[in-house]
Amino acid sequence: MKRFQIPRGVWWVAPAVGILALMSLYPLFFLVFTGFHSISGEWTIRNFTRMASDRMLGEAFLHTAVFTVAALVLELVCGLLLAILIDSLRRGRAVLRTALLLPMLLPPVVAAVIWRLIYNPQFGLLNGTIRALGFNPSHLTWTSGEGGALASVILVDVWEWTPFVFLLISAALQGLPQESLEAARVDGASRWRIFFDIELPLLRPVLALAAMLRGMDLIRIFDQVFILTQGGPGFATETISLYIYRTAFRFFDFGYASAMSLLLLVIATMLARGLVRQLRPIAAREAA
Amino acid sequence: MPCSNPRRRGVGRRWHIKPFSLIAAASLMIAGGGCTKQGPKLTVAINAGVEGEALRSAALEWGDKSGTQVEVVELPYANLFEKLLLDLTSNTGAYDVIMMDDPWFPKLAENGKLAELPAPDSDFIQSTVDVCRYPYKTGKYYAIPYVGNSQLFFYRKDLFERDHLEPPKTWDEVLIDASKLGFRTVLNAELTERFGYVMRAAPGNAAVTDFMPLFWAYGADMFDAQGNPTVNSPAGVAALEMMLRLGQYSPPGYAGFNADEVAAHLLQSTAAMSINWPAWISAMDDPQKSKVVNQIDFAQMPGERRPGQAELGAWLLGAPSGSRNVSGAKAFIHWATGRQPMKEAAVHGNPPTRRQVFLDPDLMERFRSYPAQLKSLESARPRPRTPQWNEIENAFGIAISKANAGSMTAQAAMAQAQADIAAIVSRAGK
Amino acid sequence: MKRLVLAVLAVAAGLVPVYWLLTISFKTEADQFAIPPKWFAFAPTLVHYKAVFASGSLESALWNSLIAASGSTLLALAAGVPAAYALNNLKWPAGWADSIGFWILSNRLLPPIVTIVPLFLMLRDMRLLNSIWSLTVVYTAFHLPFVVWMMRGFLAEVPREIDEAARLDGASPMRILWSILLPLVGPGLTATAVFSMIAAWNEFLYALILTQTGAASTLPVGIAARVTQYEIKWGVMSAAGVLAMLPVLVFAAVTQRYLVRGLSLGAVKG
Repeated sequence: MKRFQIPRGVWWVAPAVGILALMSLYPLFFLVFTGFHSISGEWTIRNFTRMASDRMLGEAFLHTAVFTVAALVLELVCGLLLAILIDSLRRGRAVLRTALLLPMLLPPVVAAVIWRLIYNPQFGLLNGTIRALGFNPSHLTWTSGEGGALASVILVDVWEWTPFVFLLISAALQGLPQESLEAARVDGASRWRIFFDIELPLLRPVLALAAMLRGMDLIRIFDQVFILTQGGPGFATETISLYIYRTAFRFFDFGYASAMSLLLLVIATMLARGLVRQLRPIAAREAA
Repeated sequence: MPCSNPRRRGVGRRWHIKPFSLIAAASLMIAGGGCTKQGPKLTVAINAGVEGEALRSAALEWGDKSGTQVEVVELPYANLFEKLLLDLTSNTGAYDVIMMDDPWFPKLAENGKLAELPAPDSDFIQSTVDVCRYPYKTGKYYAIPYVGNSQLFFYRKDLFERDHLEPPKTWDEVLIDASKLGFRTVLNAELTERFGYVMRAAPGNAAVTDFMPLFWAYGADMFDAQGNPTVNSPAGVAALEMMLRLGQYSPPGYAGFNADEVAAHLLQSTAAMSINWPAWISAMDDPQKSKVVNQIDFAQMPGERRPGQAELGAWLLGAPSGSRNVSGAKAFIHWATGRQPMKEAAVHGNPPTRRQVFLDPDLMERFRSYPAQLKSLESARPRPRTPQWNEIENAFGIAISKANAGSMTAQAAMAQAQADIAAIVSRAGK
Repeated sequence: MKRLVLAVLAVAAGLVPVYWLLTISFKTEADQFAIPPKWFAFAPTLVHYKAVFASGSLESALWNSLIAASGSTLLALAAGVPAAYALNNLKWPAGWADSIGFWILSNRLLPPIVTIVPLFLMLRDMRLLNSIWSLTVVYTAFHLPFVVWMMRGFLAEVPREIDEAARLDGASPMRILWSILLPLVGPGLTATAVFSMIAAWNEFLYALILTQTGAASTLPVGIAARVTQYEIKWGVMSAAGVLAMLPVLVFAAVTQRYLVRGLSLGAVKG
């Protein structure tokens, strides 16, 4: 029987794992512990059973799901289109790229506030411009109206993070093997053919990476929604993070907040596993 | 580098695990640097905004007078309650003097988190002093009132005079006036419109604060004498229905408005009436910000089935029991709520809580709204005194906001609010 | 040419809110709400910028943000790059590398709301609340999953032969990483560092809850304080926002070249 040897890599990953463990293991214990305790200190599973009948929790999850999927799809599509467009230019690429970085550099707090001003139905830039063009925007209430509020918040996130996706895809485009593209062009394939049959499949890993990185941040969205709408009007833009924050800090009900957090963690982990599986075969193939 | 707290650990949760403390503490404390004590220090946490600015000046002046080292920390209003609650419950001792909005007081004063203060003298207006006691009106004093805010009914006296209308005394009259004062014209592709009424109905504090005077005027109460919720009484539903009718004369999107949108409408002359707080009065008469200088007047809150009552929104000063300088905090609070410092705060734009300050001739001359404010404050009514207020306000606010956004009828909204509030109360009762 | 115009229009449209932010910081309050909106015709004023500088807390907030952002990025790189290398290039028992990698990544899934209260209590007991250094360590934990995964990707692009050849020559893994691989993924390293710095610079929730006074408070908290109970001080907030954006903008403009080059998956091919 072989004697078990500690793999040399353990020392290399120790600092990173150590810091992460410090910041996450204790909170995890805390979550499980508080989740199973009531406010008065007794063991109970009531925090978990309460989730089943909490209408607001269901709505918050729904909003978060809609928000995540819609924002992700829009960011991927816009990022892709922008990357292709700018990549195909002969001049001005550097300038345009730097300019596109700006929305991402703004503190989310500031971005949310400026959009709140822009969205204001009477004094904001959007409706003001629409009015100046001769149309009547009085039914367009953006973040103040229940119908469009979630869409308006999604738009803000897409505006802010498309540059990130754009950068990733732009870089990947630069790294595409030119020979196969040249060969296809020489063969007489149309621009669209080349794109769909050759470029897109090669971009799959970077799209998956962008989807994973953005997706994980979108599920946890808090700053923008908090400042833009505080979850309103009504309950229209309440995301799961906002609901947990309120429960934990305003109502001081840590037990229920912990239970909800655990549920969110489980769901997010399952989704992440799925996405990571997308990435692995590609990385393994390229490393070979 | 902040001085590390040399005092006791506070009240921690008994099942708290601390295995990482030693390892991490050793390394990080070395990095954290040493500590030097320099004499008495006072940390004052202020609310970012008008009220906080006055306290900041007072704190700095106190620092000079008493030789205390004063640090003023400004906290965003949207998160102030959470920060204070977290700090008080965990006994971090980071703040020595805090500012509290009166609805938060029951929760913050619970379980001895605030230091007891000597009773304020009789110059203070009764309604503001009552909310500083835990239990309400009968208990000991755990805060002293600093800013005497109560709602006023703002209206455009120039428009009223022009159209020969009397300031409204009931909500029915408000509705009629709103229908008469709103208009909309398009001239040369430029749209000019004015709305008869403007209000805020963003979920949470915004909606509830603007709704309470209406709710009370219709004879409704949130709780009965036994503490059971009674929001969906016929009176309550009628009040919400009136709010929806007023909503038809309000700018579209008001279901998402906060205080700044309401004020913007008044300042830009696009609305004729509104409930609002005295903090906005100085802006109304400031030519840099306002198009309606000297055209706004202030009436008492309209009534309906009951005489109108303004809602109280006082800011209170308190000292956490975990503070490192409780005696210094008490001395500062006592001084800052004295007559002269309060007069100076009033000049800054803070409504006082002392009758003599309201009646001071200099201030009466400076602030034309003082008589109306004093009258409103004396009869002001506070929001229900319950430690669960934040949660209740949240649920109530969502229902009101939904009704105003058109996605629920008044009846259904009140029923939902009733159910949610009942659940909150029963959970707390356990 | 048509495409250039289209690209410029698209970028310009995306920059309108930033332009608006800039103008708000220079407009008087009456102008900020003017109908119809004033795009160019307004008299600029410096009153908001003066207010930001007069508030007195700008310096310490700036300094704290700088410490937290750069400190956490450096720490995250120092801990994350070796981890990425180990997971990618060193030998592990079956499946270990993937499991450890996934565990590291899963930390990013924890919503900040979730960990903030236990962290607060933990730091309180260690008497490390309200310290910019504890905030720095917390931010390091934020960056680590990102750093490990990005660097793992870049290192995976380096052809195995280079690594193997160096090892045959007798070089230790440390040497290989430092002298050979790092220069090859330099741009990728820069890109990762830039994203981490931006994230730390703009972080709001943890700075809000874990700091209590000016000793540790960062810029985003100061900016959020401009949203008062009654009004939003649009002018001062915009001015503060513009000022907060400048350092990051300069940093990003300088490293922009590396950003794209560095993110090129597959750029480094033998």
